[in-house]
Amino acid sequence: VSTASPSGATEELLRTLAPRVLGALVRRHGQFDACEDAVQEALLAAALQWPEGGVPDEPFAWLLTVASRRLVDGFRADSARRTREDAVFVEGERLVDDAAPGPPDEDDSLLVLLLCCDPSLSAPSQLALTLRAVGGLTTAQVAAAFLVPEATMAQRISRAKATLRRAGARFALAGDDTAERMGVVLHVLYLMFNEGYMASSGDALARAELTTEAIRLTRMVHALLPGDGEVTGLLSLMLLTDARRAARATSGGDLIPLAKQDRAAWNRAEIAEGLALIEDALRAAPLGPYQVQAAIAALHAEARAAGETDWPQILALYRLLERLLPGNPIVSLNHAVAVAEVDGPRAALAFLDERDLDSRLGEATHRADAVRAHLLERAGSPRAARELYRAAARRTTSLPERRYLESRAAALD
Amino acid sequence: MSRTTARLRPTAMRYMIMIYDNAQSREVFTGPDGAALMGEMEALMAELRESGEYLGGEALADPAQTRSVRLVDGVPAVTDGPLAEAKEHFGGYLMVECDSFERACEIARRWPSARFTPLEVRPLMSGGGEEM
Repeated sequence: VSTASPSGATEELLRTLAPRVLGALVRRHGQFDACEDAVQEALLAAALQWPEGGVPDEPFAWLLTVASRRLVDGFRADSARRTREDAVFVEGERLVDDAAPGPPDEDDSLLVLLLCCDPSLSAPSQLALTLRAVGGLTTAQVAAAFLVPEATMAQRISRAKATLRRAGARFALAGDDTAERMGVVLHVLYLMFNEGYMASSGDALARAELTTEAIRLTRMVHALLPGDGEVTGLLSLMLLTDARRAARATSGGDLIPLAKQDRAAWNRAEIAEGLALIEDALRAAPLGPYQVQAAIAALHAEARAAGETDWPQILALYRLLERLLPGNPIVSLNHAVAVAEVDGPRAALAFLDERDLDSRLGEATHRADAVRAHLLERAGSPRAARELYRAAARRTTSLPERRYLESRAAALD
Repeated sequence: MSRTTARLRPTAMRYMIMIYDNAQSREVFTGPDGAALMGEMEALMAELRESGEYLGGEALADPAQTRSVRLVDGVPAVTDGPLAEAKEHFGGYLMVECDSFERACEIARRWPSARFTPLEVRPLMSGGGEEM
């Protein structure tokens, strides 16, 4: 059997429709896991049939019909088996209360996204499930993005769905915890973006595409909730960060720090869109951490040369961010870099000494050493800087970071 | 409404669990306790597959089959046997992806050969990185 490879346009259509079909099915039947399997089967059927037979006039209805049929077939087989085994058939628990109608203008994709980001799941499970159920990726594609064998990813997805079933993941669409769940959704999209952004040129292409997928899904959420300032802020942050992608590493995969990047290689279209988004959000919405991070990224994007960066303004934004995200060690490290630019490296070292970062960084303590080394180098203490660069190089588990830190240490010999 | 945390990586870390053995420790697995030990190993493997932590693993042939390759004055020299005499040799590995280093060490501790010969657990390097 040859595998179908639908054209780009068909695949895009299928992936846009996938979460809507799943949402409609879940609203009607509950049982997220069974519905998700049924939708994957319908997507596969479409990928096999549409390229030859043509895209149906009403593709959404086509997919919903095929998925519903698969679902009902599954229920019947399940029911027959359970009747034989237990003598009593208990209807499966429902994920979504039929009686609670969703807001009429809300796309069902958002419902599916909220379900995939259920707090009972670990972050990697939320990510994998979101990519499959909302992103419409196959298990093989999700596995390729996370560089794990397909069997391993299949097992993780089926475990995540079982966890959802056991947790009873039940909430009404008008539920009070929607705001809290939206926070988790944004965090999952943020992690998805970072995972792809940090991938090096040597990594599988599928991995770098996580950034594209994260931006696509965040755009979708932004289109559904245009007045949500944090959604807008996150989309802006992603675009302003992704704009630097071509400039952040050499062709050999060596990392280039922000100050040394070729700003002509930054993506102007993404910067323009990111700037417009954050300006809108800051005017209208209550302030939140994604908006502040986007505002910081905007100040970097607006500087034509590293020397023209408005560091006093960035420092003011970090002070604000520290109040919004108290105790976040990564924020403190970036904050320290801004302190160094405004008040000098000694002030930044004192700033770090006041904060007990190492105990909060966990396995990322090399990041604190790398920042301290950089500050010591600028403060004129090359020997101490060299030792800390070396300590950081020994502790990182990223190959490009290790090469970068070793090169900084070697330059101080 | 936002929840931004310090966690940079959503994915768990990858570890190689390096299994060391010697002739005596391997013979235990074919002796009277062998079937029970193999049963424990298979149960642990099944657990790792079920949890989605298992990424792969291989066993190596006896160290006597090793050939060591080095350049002597630019000329390749191939000798039979491992580089160094040792009480234990690298005998195989498991590759796992876990939430923590502690969890990877717990898997190593439960590997049946741990009762006879030591194991090493080491994080794998990744290709991605953060510009600093």
